[in-house]
Amino acid sequence: MSLHEPTTPAFKANARRALDDENLQLALRGGRNGFVSKRAAARDKLPEFDDLRDQARDIKNHVLANLDLYLEEYEKKVVESGGHVHWAETAEDARNIVLDICRKADAKIVNKGKTMISEECGINDFLADNGIKPVETDLGEYIIQLRGEVPSHIIAPAIHVTVDQVRADFRKAHTHLPEDRDLTELISLQREARGVLREKYFEAEVGITGANMLIAETGHSVIVTNEGNGDLSQSLPRVHIVMASLEKIVPTLDDASTILRVLARSATGQETAVYNTFSKGPRRAEDPDGPEEYHVILLDNGRSNMLGTEFEEMLRCIRCGACMNHCPVYQSVGGHAYGWVYPGPMGAVLTPSLIGVEQGGQLPNASTFCGRCAEVCPMRIPLPKMMRSWRAREFEKRLTPSAVRQGLGLWAWFAKRPWVYRRATAVGAAALRAMSGSKGRIASLPFAGGWTGQRDFPAPQGGTFMAQWKAGKR
Amino acid sequence: MSAARDRILARVRSAATDAHPSADREVQVASRLAKPPSGPAPHQASSRGSARVTQFMNKLGAVEATISRVPDLSRLPASLAHELRNRNLPAAIRTGTDPMFKGLDWGAIEPSVGPGRMEEPATLSRAEFGLAELGTLVLASGPDNPVTLTFLGETHFVVLRESDIRAGFEDFWASWRERGLDPRTINMVTGPSRSADIGQTLQLGAHGPVALHVFLLGGGNG
Repeated sequence: MSLHEPTTPAFKANARRALDDENLQLALRGGRNGFVSKRAAARDKLPEFDDLRDQARDIKNHVLANLDLYLEEYEKKVVESGGHVHWAETAEDARNIVLDICRKADAKIVNKGKTMISEECGINDFLADNGIKPVETDLGEYIIQLRGEVPSHIIAPAIHVTVDQVRADFRKAHTHLPEDRDLTELISLQREARGVLREKYFEAEVGITGANMLIAETGHSVIVTNEGNGDLSQSLPRVHIVMASLEKIVPTLDDASTILRVLARSATGQETAVYNTFSKGPRRAEDPDGPEEYHVILLDNGRSNMLGTEFEEMLRCIRCGACMNHCPVYQSVGGHAYGWVYPGPMGAVLTPSLIGVEQGGQLPNASTFCGRCAEVCPMRIPLPKMMRSWRAREFEKRLTPSAVRQGLGLWAWFAKRPWVYRRATAVGAAALRAMSGSKGRIASLPFAGGWTGQRDFPAPQGGTFMAQWKAGKR
Repeated sequence: MSAARDRILARVRSAATDAHPSADREVQVASRLAKPPSGPAPHQASSRGSARVTQFMNKLGAVEATISRVPDLSRLPASLAHELRNRNLPAAIRTGTDPMFKGLDWGAIEPSVGPGRMEEPATLSRAEFGLAELGTLVLASGPDNPVTLTFLGETHFVVLRESDIRAGFEDFWASWRERGLDPRTINMVTGPSRSADIGQTLQLGAHGPVALHVFLLGGGNG
């Protein structure tokens, strides 16, 4: 089975397994608060942060309302600078375009900068099946490629891997290095990967990167990175392929700056990433370096069908990862449980859009609706609202499990009869209070083992809300 | 793939015009592209004079880059020699053909010119601009400053004229357009390369430079 076959329908089983995986829980605990506190510090240092979020949202709304025009303008600029634009309706189209370019370049090795679009299209497996070796050069991506895994976070792909696991993976993979080398320090692991990958940059015939933005004014593709691997992957091989989805367009260099001002702060809490690189076209006659060919693959894969729907706002997403960093569900089960390329709240909205609600419908249910994702989203995407829309669609399509449907039906019956509802809740509250005795907590509750298995259920105190309201407690 | 292009654009067009009907879409788009509006800039992108230079240096320092000030261009080789010695680096430097470096007396330092190679202990580039807002260096690729020198140097040295520091993105892009620059790549660099992919602990020197040192050229006549 391909690594990219979604296991999304098995979300519940995946999540159960993730909760029982001690190594994963150890890794998740290690990363849990870093992103959150760093983002908060970056936000506090910039008084205009929320204004910039509004501005960023408005830019993307303007782009989405005029996307056809901006795409045409962008294409024109790329062609003027000597580059090629390829349009891919599906992931399969994109795979075939990549393979075609690689074959024409007689490529044996393809270097990869970090690109989620390539993950979405399953490029690595496809190239390998066709006798071309893909080499991930982002440190996190390299680690998971050695492990035969897929990313579990969109900007920290190996966040689920512990240091001990990395050490063991490097010893197993880098057999050309002395067995007794000292890998105790973290920095020695990083230096080892640096050395191994430095050689790869010079061997590859083709480099594939993603794009954080495509600029219509100039035809630039923009990558935002900290490691420098994306830049080496796109500067050293003879051919550079940019893989990007349609909605990555921004109108101008100034608009790109606004997005840059919110992107890194939301992602890692940095004021800016180390490298913001704007590239267009192949090397010029006088250039001593850079690729001789420059290709952009524009991927649709379901996005044009989101335009004009209740899910259009999802296309503002700039893939910073803030929503998953702040999500209690993601923080408990990690990214792999989501079963496909995009985890966390943004994945819960995007996945059903791209692979269908039949396959991805479980994910919008994996939310406590605490709303932190929408609160921190730099593009102000109303993620919980869209998850609710998916739940409604899942219900309409009768994909919701029958126990849930019956439960909802029962609740609706009561909810439509306020008098019965109030009586029932008053009786229920009194019964729970009686069950709890003097402790005020219930250790085990029939039909609620999912709750009481992990923690006590607090017994209701006092009368119901309506009873208290009537009694004048306002 | 022109059929795919046409189908995608048709879908996008019909969705966009249905959801956002507007008579003058073309005009709106053309005017935004012809005269890019810049939004309200944050206060930290508005420094002036010596405060701007100080902010630039502080921001760069905060991202683990180092800086030394060089009063005039003739002193650059001596400053570079000093840095190479202090860092136990060989007395050699790789540069592009930037006119700034032409005719300099490198003394004991062995200069070589060209793109980056697999092993580059020390490389030197000239930055076109600096941004005080973030402590960012902006480099333009080409024969003068090959892009690979920025990423393959173990230690990357960058010269920047103090007079080329801008407050933030807004005045930077204005100056960029004014200078008529149009290189293949624009490289914004803010500190040496880094990664936190192993153990969520930040380590310097991922795939790009392990160290970044800036020579800030004063006096405005460099």
